[in-house]
Amino acid sequence: MKLSRHTKVAAAVAGAATIALLASACSSGGGEETDGDITLTVTTFGTFGYDDLYTEYEEANPGVTIEATNIDTGGNARTDAFTKLAAGSGLSDVVAIEEGWLGAIMEVSDQFVDLTEYGIDDRKADWVDWKYEQATDPEGRVIGYGTDIGPSGICYNGPALEAAGLASDRESVAELLNGDWAHYFDVGRQYQQATGKAWFDHSGFVWNSMVNQMPEGYYTSDGELNVEDNADLKANFDLLSGAVDDGLSAAQAAWDWNGGKSFVDGTFATFVCPGWMLGVVEGQVETGGGDASTGWDFADVFPGGAANWGGAFLSVPETSEHKEAAAKLADWLTQPEQQVKQSAAAGNFPSTIEAQETLASEATPNEFFNGAPTGAILAARAEGVVAQFKGPDDSVIQENVFGPALSALDRGEVDGTAAWDQAIELLHELVGE
Amino acid sequence: MTTTIRPPASGTPTPQRRSAASEPLTFRQRLSRFDVKASPYFYVSPFFILFALVGLFPLGYTLVVSMHEWDLLKGQGPFVGFENFVEILGDSMFWNSIGNTISIFLLSSIPQLAIALIVAYLLDQGLRAPTFWRMSVLLPYIVTPVAVAIIFSSAFNEADGLVNNILNVFGIPDQAWKHDTFLSHIAIATMVNFRWTGYNALILLAAMQSVPRDLYESAAIDGAGAVRRFFSITIPSIRPTLIFVIITATIGGLQIFTEPRLFDVSTAGGIGGSDRQFQTTVLFMWELAFFRRDFGEAAAVAWLLFLLIVGFGLINFLISRRIATGGDKPDRRARRARERATRGGAA
Repeated sequence: MKLSRHTKVAAAVAGAATIALLASACSSGGGEETDGDITLTVTTFGTFGYDDLYTEYEEANPGVTIEATNIDTGGNARTDAFTKLAAGSGLSDVVAIEEGWLGAIMEVSDQFVDLTEYGIDDRKADWVDWKYEQATDPEGRVIGYGTDIGPSGICYNGPALEAAGLASDRESVAELLNGDWAHYFDVGRQYQQATGKAWFDHSGFVWNSMVNQMPEGYYTSDGELNVEDNADLKANFDLLSGAVDDGLSAAQAAWDWNGGKSFVDGTFATFVCPGWMLGVVEGQVETGGGDASTGWDFADVFPGGAANWGGAFLSVPETSEHKEAAAKLADWLTQPEQQVKQSAAAGNFPSTIEAQETLASEATPNEFFNGAPTGAILAARAEGVVAQFKGPDDSVIQENVFGPALSALDRGEVDGTAAWDQAIELLHELVGE
Repeated sequence: MTTTIRPPASGTPTPQRRSAASEPLTFRQRLSRFDVKASPYFYVSPFFILFALVGLFPLGYTLVVSMHEWDLLKGQGPFVGFENFVEILGDSMFWNSIGNTISIFLLSSIPQLAIALIVAYLLDQGLRAPTFWRMSVLLPYIVTPVAVAIIFSSAFNEADGLVNNILNVFGIPDQAWKHDTFLSHIAIATMVNFRWTGYNALILLAAMQSVPRDLYESAAIDGAGAVRRFFSITIPSIRPTLIFVIITATIGGLQIFTEPRLFDVSTAGGIGGSDRQFQTTVLFMWELAFFRRDFGEAAAVAWLLFLLIVGFGLINFLISRRIATGGDKPDRRARRARERATRGGAA
C-alpha cells in the first residue's frame, strides 16, 4: 500500500488521537448539559417502587431528567456501591444504601454529602427518631434520607395451615403465633407432625430476624464485636438449631427458592416478612407460576415481638456533580406523600411518621395477600421497634460467617453445636479477634 | 510503505553518486531514513502504550497495594511488606480455592481440547455446507458468560432442574449439583466447555486446513489409517496452534469467575456454594476485596494467581511440546512421509 505523505501525517495524527482518546476515555465524566438541563442518576435495589415517582418528578421539574438503575438484590447493590466508592468515581447522584451495610459506609461517611447543608435537620421530626439517628455519623453529619424501614410480620400460606388443621384466617393466625420464638417453633412442630412438611423456608432468614430483634446484635452499642461469648445470641442459636433438628426448615436456597416454585407447591408454610419482603414474596410466587390464589397472607404477629430487618436510605455521594439537585430529589422522594405512593407500588413500609399514619388509617387491602391490609399491619408491627447498632462487618458476619454454618445445619450435615463452632471458627478467620 | 529516492536529474551518474555519498544528507533524506527506521515501531506503539496503561501499570500498582494494609473503602494503610502474602499462604480458604480452581480447570480444559480436536477434525472432512457447521459450533461462544451461567444454573437446580429431571428418567436419583464439591465442579466445567469448545475447534480447524493435503494422500497410499494419519500428521503439523490453544485455555481456566459467582445466587458474599465448594481463586479474591473489604490481601492473591498462571503456562508449554512432537518417532515418520510425497511429486 502506498500512502502519500499527507495521508501518512493524517494517519499518524489519527493514531495519536485514538491513543489519547482511549487513554482518557475512563476519566471523562458526565455533566455536559447546558441551559440548566441536568440529568440525575439514581441507583436503587430490590423492589423500590420509584418508577412512577421519577416520572412525576420529571414532570414537576422541567429540565431534570432521571436515569434510574435498579439492582436486583441488596447484596449486589452493596458490591456495586463499594466498588465505585473504592474506585473514587461512578456512583450515581443518588444512591440507595441498605441498613445492613450502613455500618461499613459510616466508616467513610465523609465521602457522602452532609445533608444538613440541604436542610434535612428541618425534617428531623418527619422520621421515626431511630431512623434519623442511624444516618447520623459521630461528627453529627447526616448522610441519608430514610426511605423505608423493615418492621416484620409473618407471611403464611392459608391452604397449607388448613391442611394441618390449623386456623388460617389472619386474626386466628396472629393469635396462634402470638408469643416468643420457642412458641413459634412449637406451632411449627405441630404443623410438621400433621403434614410432614417444613415450617419455614431456611434458617438464614429466621436467624437474621432473631438477631435483628435483639437490643444488641453482633456488636454492642459501643461498636465492640460481641459474638463468641454472647449468651443471648447462643441461646437463640440453640433454639433455632433445635427447630431445624425437628425438620422445621425446608433448607431452601435463598433468593432462588427453586425458581420460586417452593412458594407455590407448599414446601413451607410460613416466611419471615419485613415490609420490603412482601414485594419479594409476590415476585417469587409469580416466578414460580402462582398468583394471589396460591393463598399467601400476612398476619399481624411476629415471634418475640417487634423487630426491624433492613430498610434503606438515599444518599448523595461527594463525587456527584449535582449535589444540590440530587439532594432535592432525594428529599422529595422521601417526603411522606411520596413514601405512601412508594409503599403502594412496592409493598414496603415508610419511615416517616405521617406516611405510616396514612397507611394505618387507609388500611388498603393488598390484593395479592388475600386482601390483607398490609400497610396497616406493618404500621402495627412497627410499634416498639428499637434500632440496633450495625457494625462495619455486620453483613460479612451475616452472609459469610453464619450463612455457611446455618446452611450446613439446614442440610443436616452438622448438628447445632458443630454449626455454632463452625460459625465461630469462620468468625475468627474472616473478621478476626 | 515505500520511500522513493529521487533519481539524479542529469549529468554522468558515477561522480555524482560518489559525491552524494560523501556529502551530508539533506533534511528530507534524513527524515526519510528516520521514517524507514522508526515508523514500524511507531505503528506498533499503540498496543504497547495501551498495554503499559492497562496491563503493566495495574500489575505494579497491585504489587504496591499488596504490600500495604489496604481497606477497600478507607484506602491505604501502613506498609506491611510481605505480611499479606504470608497471611494468604497460611489461609486454608486460599488453598481450598486453589484446589477448586485446578480441579475445575482440569475438568474443563482436558475434555474441551479433546472434543475441540475431534470436532475440528470432523469439520475438516469436506462436509457439505461447511460455513453452516462452522458457525454452529461457534454459536455458544457469542452467548455472554452471564447468560450461560444463569441458564446452566437453572438446569443444574437441585430440586427441579433439567439435568436432575433427565437423570430421574433413567432412574438415577437427584444429585446435589450445588452442594457436592465434585459435582459442582463438573457443572461449572460444563458451562466453560459449552462456551469454549467451539471456539477452540475453529482455531484448530484453521490450522488443520493449512496442512498440505498431499501428506494425507501419500500416507493413505502407504496404508496409514485415519487414526494414524490424525496422530502422525495432523497433530504434529498443528503443533504451534495447539500450544496457543492450550495456553489460552490455561489462562482462561485459571481465571474462572463468572460461572461460580452466578452458580449459586443465594451467597451474596461470593463464597461459591454454601461451604466454598466451588469458590475459585478469582472468586476468593473477589470476596476478599469487595465483600470483606481487605484490598491488600486481595492484591496479594492476585499476584499469587499471576505467578501460578505463569507457572502453569510454562509447564503446559513444555508438556505440549513433548506431546505434540511425541518424542522422535512420529516426527521422523511424518518427515519420511513428506519426503516420499515430494519424491512422488517429482517422479
